[in-house]
Amino acid sequence: MDEKKKMAYRQGLVVFLLLAVLTIGEFFIGVVASLWWMPLLGIAFFKAFLIVRDYMHIGRLFTADEEEVFP
Amino acid sequence: MTTGTTQMANYRQKTGMNRLGLWLFIVSDTFVFAGLFISRFYLLGTATRPEVSQWLGLAVTSILLISSFFMNRAETAIAHGDQKAFLNGTLITLVLGTLFVIGVVGVEWQVAPYGPGEDASWSLFYTMTGFHAFHVLTGLIFLAVVYRKGRKGQFSSERHWPVEAAAVYWHFIDVVWVFFYPALYLIGNPPL
Repeated sequence: MDEKKKMAYRQGLVVFLLLAVLTIGEFFIGVVASLWWMPLLGIAFFKAFLIVRDYMHIGRLFTADEEEVFP
Repeated sequence: MTTGTTQMANYRQKTGMNRLGLWLFIVSDTFVFAGLFISRFYLLGTATRPEVSQWLGLAVTSILLISSFFMNRAETAIAHGDQKAFLNGTLITLVLGTLFVIGVVGVEWQVAPYGPGEDASWSLFYTMTGFHAFHVLTGLIFLAVVYRKGRKGQFSSERHWPVEAAAVYWHFIDVVWVFFYPALYLIGNPPL
């Protein structure tokens, strides 16, 4: 497995672990303090940011065709 | 410039335009989901939520999250020419996506204490979950087509725009659920 591929897989895994931790965190906030809507929405926005940046690769939209990068 | 290089340059240019089109569609779809999301807070505020199981919510959310991880792996695999890992990742995503739909429509809707005709807030609950589940269903069809073409060896590390499009669409479905999950299952208490 070449280094670039390994790096891409590792990045996907790190993002997934972050999303998992945040999801468990928001579940416990929801169970213990369900009226804390601001932290819950804050976590949701952060999770969305991670997915849009690292899984949906929004950056590709702004890169020139010649310098196109694969995940 | 050789013919092969010209063809590749044309393909990349076309992919750039396709990418822009897909993102414009995603932005327009976001407005519909945002309208539903805001309606939930308009109707129920932040102190009340629908009377649904938080454990079931966590279960379906986890399934969708894991499916996104495998979709990312599948896309990474095809971008590096690994056909087998791409097919495996896509297949696992298909299975998990199907489980998500079963979890929401087949389980959640059946165990929910009220139907969509009960009141405006329950009507909205079914609209939000139903509209999202419909998007998951279309994503599954998209993935099934990509999987079938992948089995025929129609994608390579240089040419795999349909895989990228399916992955971006699938992750968009995940982003929508990232907001729907706290809105429906976590924020506020069920009415007494």
